[in-house]
Formats: sequence, structure tokens, C-alpha cells
Amino acid sequence: MTMVNLQYYAQLREQAGIGGEQVATAATTLGQLYEELCARHDFSLAADVLKVAVNAQFCGWDHPLRDGDTIVFIPPVAGG
Amino acid sequence: MHFQLASEAVDTARLRDALQHPGSGGFCAFEGWVRNSNEGREVDGLDYEAYAELAQSEGERIVAEAIARYGVTDACCVHRTGALKVGDLAVWVGASAAHRDEAFRACRYIIDEIKHRLPIWKKEHYLSGDAEWVACTHVHREHEHEHEMHHHAHPPAAPFTPDYSRQLRLREVGEAGQAKLAASRVLVIGAGGLGCPVISYLAGAGVGTLGIVDGDRLEASNLHRQTMYDAADVGELKVTLAARRVAALNPSVKVRTWVAPLQAEQAVEVFGEFDLVVECTDDMRSRYSSSDAAVISGTPLVLASVYQYEGQLQVVEARPGMPCLRCLWPHEPAPEAVGSCALSGVLGPAPGTLGAMQAMEALKLLLDLPRPRDAALVLVNLLDHSTTRLPIDATQGCALHGGCVSVARQALAKARQEAEIDLAFGNLEGALAAGFQLVDLRDAEEIAAEPLGVEAWRQIPSTQIVERANELGAGPLLLVCASGRRSAHAARLLRAEGWQHVHSLAGGVRALRVMG
Repeated sequence: MTMVNLQYYAQLREQAGIGGEQVATAATTLGQLYEELCARHDFSLAADVLKVAVNAQFCGWDHPLRDGDTIVFIPPVAGG
Repeated sequence: MHFQLASEAVDTARLRDALQHPGSGGFCAFEGWVRNSNEGREVDGLDYEAYAELAQSEGERIVAEAIARYGVTDACCVHRTGALKVGDLAVWVGASAAHRDEAFRACRYIIDEIKHRLPIWKKEHYLSGDAEWVACTHVHREHEHEHEMHHHAHPPAAPFTPDYSRQLRLREVGEAGQAKLAASRVLVIGAGGLGCPVISYLAGAGVGTLGIVDGDRLEASNLHRQTMYDAADVGELKVTLAARRVAALNPSVKVRTWVAPLQAEQAVEVFGEFDLVVECTDDMRSRYSSSDAAVISGTPLVLASVYQYEGQLQVVEARPGMPCLRCLWPHEPAPEAVGSCALSGVLGPAPGTLGAMQAMEALKLLLDLPRPRDAALVLVNLLDHSTTRLPIDATQGCALHGGCVSVARQALAKARQEAEIDLAFGNLEGALAAGFQLVDLRDAEEIAAEPLGVEAWRQIPSTQIVERANELGAGPLLLVCASGRRSAHAARLLRAEGWQHVHSLAGGVRALRVMG
């Protein structure tokens, strides 16, 4: 299991009901992790409309997970 | 009927009698007469020519505004058309009210607005024998100054000279920086929650020319976050209000306004006339179109958007090797995915904060102040005070697809093909008469809150339109939603699936409300 710190923005924060959480996951890539989270929080957004960053760097969905990573999921927003 | 155009002499006694009400304790009338000179030339007489239909509806609107604004019992206005001689009555305004003050002010409001807004032209006949059509220009509108008058018994007589001493004192600004600002031209797209602080700060800083683009009229629900406007402004065009606000804040700033969103190709052209663009709309499509126009025209762009208690900020420098919006998010997401202030809610200071940050970025670019040289997406969370700066790797964006300019040109070409998707109708009866089948894409709650007024052929929520496309006929179809965004997106999706005759109601149900 890998321990990672997650931060949610915008719609994801609202749907999860929390701004962030620490999870232990069996997922090995960001893509697998997001699938797991979708099932848990009922996220409505598909991965391909999101950006994801690990330790303050944008990454692709095939990026591997490491213990202690801080992972940020960012949806596009349009309000003004 | 509160407003009339009259081709014959006006019976003022009858007009006055009609305004007598038991509850009125004061009556005030204004008469405009034809005088014997204008701008030094002797006038013999004149002709008034009106665009009758428009003058009639605009005149009615003006008198109704005055009645609502000042709470007068009744008011009326008559404007002459045709040939008039010196001394003839050209316009008559009357207002009766419980007290004299409202009657005076309503009367003044009506005549000022009539002179400013009514499509009436006058042709003056001079004693020298020639004649000239005279346009109505530079009308002083007393009600615009009511607020000042209430606070200062004696309005300042001397012309205003801006005092930039507080920013001149900054070593990085100084006289040279101030001169840069005075010579700079900034286009602000959207005069809403983000646009209000941007416009206010840039006008205050002395940016020489401000362009303002907004097609919306002010709604009461805007006031909690759009701090340039007053309750009395509801219903007016935001660009008009914003231009008025800039003139009041810093008369030395030149303002140019656009009352409709810039279309794709026009955007490239207009961007080229500015040194910097600040994108402040709540519309994802506008953001993409602005990013495309910025990279094609080489004009730096400051983007921001907000969601509830947080926001995102990105500066597109529009130079080779620097990323654009499409480098991050290559394709415009569906409107349902991105949320909006109307659907998701927002606290006023959220766009206020992000708008202030946009103004800061704009000034940093114009003044060439110290700033990070690498591009980033900045996330601001106002609940927990966290700010996250995520560097954008330009080599992983549009560079993989031919570069930002090439990608933007392709998007522009696609936008051109899709331009005919949006159709404007004054009412839905017109769309039905034109043979369209209406498909209402709003959810049940929205439909209950604001019914279409005519029978929709189908109700299919926008999120289900593609999977339920088999329920649609060959058309022609007109898709309808609240703002025209979801319907335009759905129409593009259906066209990509092979539907030829599918269109979107431009501006959505909201536009019908404004036009109707």
C-alpha cells in the first residue's frame, strides 16, 4: 500500500465534501488512483477533463505513485 | 401611454390635466422650444425626423424608468416631429408627485434621457438659406451626478487632475512607469465579478485606453460581487455602466466599448489594437477564444476563473515557447463540467480577489515589474489560505501538436464552421413558425422555475443528449438551455455525430427574457 496526500479543488472538493485527505492505496498510477476515488466519492468528472499534479508538478495519468506524494486534482472552472 | 410622437401642435393643457391625481401635491413641466440660433448661426426653423417605432418604445421606457426611479405618481412626454418654426413647442415633459422634489427630478431625468437616447434627428434651417442635420452630442445628464450633488453642496468647478503620487513613489514605477501606463491600451473582456476590480484598478492606475466587452445587462443577483454597480442600475447594459464608472473614477482614461461578445476572427483583429487583454468572463468558450486570439495576435492575456471559494490564474504571454490555455486543457470541456456562479454559487470576494490579482498581473506586465519568468497555473483557495503555483511545461502542450499558433488557427477555423450553430430569436413562437422543433436541455428544476411558454417538442437534459440522440428526428432542431452554452455545446456534439440541421438558441432563455 502507498500512503499519499490528496488535495481536491472546485467540483471535486464539493463532491468529496473535503478539501483533502490522506489515503492508503493499492493503486500504482495516478489513473488507477483516480478510478478508485471516483468509486469512493462518486466524482462526476472524467479524468481526461482534469489536470493532476504530484508534488507541485503537472504529471500524466500513467505517473507512478510513491509514498508521501502530495497529489492535486484540478478541474477547469469558468466562474467569473 | 406615457410617450407620444406628435406631428401636429401639442395641447399642453390637456396633457397637464391628465397628470392631475388626488395624491399629487406637486406638478412640474418642462417645455423645449425652437430657438432662433444654434452655435452662433441664426435659425429660421427646423424639421424633426424620428425612427418612430424605436422612438416610441424607447420613450415609453424612459418615462417608465423615471416613474420607477423617483416614485412619482404619473409622468408623460410628447415630442414633435415634422416642420417647426422659431418659438414652437418641440417637446413637453410633465410629472406629478406627492412632493415637488420628485416631480422636478423626474422631469429633468426624462428630458435628459430623451435628448440622449431617442432616435430623433433635427434638421436646422438657417437664415443664410442652407440647412444641416444636427446630431445630439454630449448631453449632460443631471441624474448621473445626483449622488455627488447629495454629498457636496458645491460640486468642484476646476477640472480634475489625476494624482498618481502613491504609485509614482514606487521605485519600479516612477514617472517613466506612469508614462508607460498612460500610453498603454488594455482590453477587459467581461465587466462582471472579475471585471469590476480589473476595470477599477486599471482606470485608477491611469491606463490610457480601456476597452470593455460585455453583452449582458445588470441583474440584481450580480450586485453581491460586481462592486461598480448600484441597485438603481439593474436592467442597464454593463458596458454603459462600466464606461460611466471609469469616467467618474478617472476622466483621463479613454474608454472603448463592445456590447456583444467578440466573434473569433474579430477577436484577433481587436486584440491587435491592444497591448494586453484581461479575460474576465464566466464563459469557458470565451476563455478559449481569447487564448487563441492572444497567441495568433501575439497579445499577452491574463486569465482567471473562480469556483465558489477558490480561483485559478494563468498569464499567457503569447510568445514563442510560452504555454497557452490549450497547453493545459487542450479541449474545451463541456459546460456541465466547469460549473458557474449561477449553478454552483460564489461568495463575492472570490472573484474580487482573483480580479484584483488579474489587475496586479496586468500592471506587472505593462510596467515590466519583477515576476517569475516561467509560466504557471496558480490555484488560490480562500478557505484555507493556500496558494499553489504549478509550473506549466510548454513542451508537453500544444508543442506536441504543431505549436500554440497552429493549434489556435485550427480552432479558429473550426469556430468559423460552427458560427452558424447559434441562432437568435426574439421569441420562441418565431422559432416554431420557422419550422424548428424545440428541444429543452435544461433539468426539471430549471424548467419548473422558468417554463418556456411554448410546448417543447422534447425535454432531454444536456448531459444525456448524445446517448438519447436516437429520440431526435432529422430536424431542423433548435436546442434551448438557460444561457445558450449547454445548447451550443450539445449542438456541436450532435453535428459531430452527423446531425446536419441542429442549432442552438443564442443566449438561451435568458436572452428571450431581455428581448421580450
